[in-house]
Amino acid sequence: MKDCAVLFDVTKCVGCGSCTVACKMWNGLPYEENAHGYDAKLDDKTWTVVEYHDVKKGKEDVLRFAKHQCMHCLEPSCVAVCFAKAITVSDEGAVVYDAKKCVGCRYCMIGCPYSVPKYEWDKVFPSVMKCRLCAEKLAKNESPACTSVCPSGALTFGTRDDLLDEAWARIKADSGYIQKVYGETEGGGTRWLYISDVPFKDLGLPEDIPTKSIPSTIHDYTKWKPGIFVGAAAVFGALGLYTKRRVKIENEQRQGEGGKEDV
Amino acid sequence: MKERQKIQKQKKQPQLTRRQFLGAAAGVTVAAAVSGCDIVEEPGGSGWLPTQYTNEGNWPAQVKGRVPIDPQNPSIERVDSACILCGQCLEVCQNTETVYNYYELPVVDGFICVHCGQCALNCPTGAIREKSQIDRALEAIDDPDKITVATISPGVRVSIGEEFGMAQGEWAQEQMITALRELGFDYVINIDFSSDSTIMEEGSELVHRLTSGGVLPQFTSCCPGWVKFVEYYYPELIPNISSAKSPVAEMGAMLKTYWAKKKKIDPDKIVVVNIPPCTAKKFEMSRPEMDAARRYWEEHEKKKYSGMRDVDVILTTRELAQMIRNQGIDFMSLPKGSFDPIVSEGSGGAIIFPNTGGVMEAAIRAAYFLVSGEDPPEDLLHLEVLRDGDLDGYAEGSVDVPGFGEVKVAVCNGLHAARTLCEEIKAGKRSDLHFLEVMTCPGGCIGGGGQAKTVVPPSNGLRRNRLASIYKADEALSPEKRVSYKNDEIKALYDEFLGEPLSELAELILHTEYTDRSASLEAKDTKDYVDPYNGERGEVQ
Repeated sequence: MKDCAVLFDVTKCVGCGSCTVACKMWNGLPYEENAHGYDAKLDDKTWTVVEYHDVKKGKEDVLRFAKHQCMHCLEPSCVAVCFAKAITVSDEGAVVYDAKKCVGCRYCMIGCPYSVPKYEWDKVFPSVMKCRLCAEKLAKNESPACTSVCPSGALTFGTRDDLLDEAWARIKADSGYIQKVYGETEGGGTRWLYISDVPFKDLGLPEDIPTKSIPSTIHDYTKWKPGIFVGAAAVFGALGLYTKRRVKIENEQRQGEGGKEDV
Repeated sequence: MKERQKIQKQKKQPQLTRRQFLGAAAGVTVAAAVSGCDIVEEPGGSGWLPTQYTNEGNWPAQVKGRVPIDPQNPSIERVDSACILCGQCLEVCQNTETVYNYYELPVVDGFICVHCGQCALNCPTGAIREKSQIDRALEAIDDPDKITVATISPGVRVSIGEEFGMAQGEWAQEQMITALRELGFDYVINIDFSSDSTIMEEGSELVHRLTSGGVLPQFTSCCPGWVKFVEYYYPELIPNISSAKSPVAEMGAMLKTYWAKKKKIDPDKIVVVNIPPCTAKKFEMSRPEMDAARRYWEEHEKKKYSGMRDVDVILTTRELAQMIRNQGIDFMSLPKGSFDPIVSEGSGGAIIFPNTGGVMEAAIRAAYFLVSGEDPPEDLLHLEVLRDGDLDGYAEGSVDVPGFGEVKVAVCNGLHAARTLCEEIKAGKRSDLHFLEVMTCPGGCIGGGGQAKTVVPPSNGLRRNRLASIYKADEALSPEKRVSYKNDEIKALYDEFLGEPLSELAELILHTEYTDRSASLEAKDTKDYVDPYNGERGEVQ
């Protein structure tokens, strides 16, 4: 299936943490840190977490669960900054990392607006670790591990277009939802889409991500680089030629004036 | 000459030239780079998932995921590394207990749980287990200032032996008493005593309701899972629940008042360690109103014991077995022990408490006497109709009581049957019923969430073996030993301390109140509920 995506409906999450266990099981990751709870944090061994958030919904105090993992941007900045081409986008849309090509510069960690990629600091030959959207499962037309185990219907797997329609249909059918699909436009759009009945910033999702993708924003500036290089070379070359020619003419003039010594 | 030798010696010392150093450094770098390519594993996708999750497309696996468990849950916890997402916990929580998926999403308070522990009992890997209080028990045993009192709930004695190789349901009460003494408990007390006091209170309450037009049907209150279920889903039926506490809670309060006074022990030194077949007792123990003993001392004796709880530690059958194993006690070869007197005598009615229908049978034996003043006839001592022979979760019947007439009673085990009945009661369709017993766990406490995991998931065969063992113990007694109101220690309790059932003091020590928890969730409308197991009693209109 092309154009894979996942819709996470915050209102349907019961906080069981099945998705975090499925991720560990499928990816053979060790169970060191608690992957769900108030203090759950993404790290190199935990590619997805379910965070607990005590949130104000109107006047009510409610508990909400937010799953976090790689957002799988349509135009990922980690891919853009990786000069070793170790991070690529698969045919299905998963942002996948190739450890054998990685040189360990960790530009991707700085480039990611969601701070997703994590480094194996405790290893001799470390890799960058993050959710791969179970790319090999997608290639076999299976849904990612986390979405396949969700018992409450909080996670839906499908094509991005279908899921956007589904998300907006749910928002229109129930006025309790925030009128926004997080991930529809964030950073040019992501393959993980969130809908919620509480503000996204209360769920640990950054709301200051520009709608234009980061690579294309940077491209607006960096596209001038070749021109600037060539232009500068031309200008300085021309100046050099001009100076050289002027010195030459000056020297000829001096010689013509008749044997005055150079000082 | 000597000088020259010295110089030569110095020259022989190995020296690293710049060329050699650079060569070695380059070699190490190349070796690291080459070998590093093989050391770095491709991250991800190397693991395993159960087959229902590895199908093409969005395969709709019927059983998937797992139950949500609050990290702060007082009864149960889960170890992620042992969880295989088999979905058995969800199956039992949703279909047997009708808790999960019977509330609307989004959640309000987060985690809805009645603490029955059936998920732990059905978990094949042991990922879900009771929240251990073994350390608290050992700490109390080791503290020379504390007097530790172990109280044994009736369901444990037909299950604990299974942990040590005994046959399914084999009676092991006497060995267990010895084991508890060897573990260092100062007193070993039989909960059967407080089961009888529960019957006296609950039976008297029923008679009161029957004769004075109180709210009917009366619900039993022994099961903390069932009580919380009603508090969550049927707050309008809270007045139906008997205000009598569960035997465990009553025992805790009595040990720190009546028993402490008789033994002349400072109640603050007593640590009550109850051993039930139940994980929900850990929750019940923590309910704020379970401090009757503290209130008694404050109100009646003007003594302050701040922070004193009625019950201090709850150990499930599995935890006790673990303690016995850890101590290296050879359970099978233990001599038989006996309970400490004063609050340990139990009737046959108390013995059958952990069986489904048992509380009802015991209550009918007592209520018959309380209403008619006569001993129940022989056939009332074996109410086959209430014993849910096919273990489908529901049984009902009626008893003719002289002086009142027909008393209609029902018995549920497993909350799905209870939910169906609650819906009918709510709709006003069961005004014929007088008394309802509900046990959250299938088969009653003998199938409790804290019992030995002899068969996983627990089978009806296992439950029948335990049920039969309990009934056998009751039937071995003479008729006058099988009714609660003829328990001599119970008579002494009322003569010396409480006065009579439902007296003011009995209300303080043996009764409690309930909390409306319906704001913690938005219950689903179960009018369209289709029973997953039983088509006949399925739809509730």
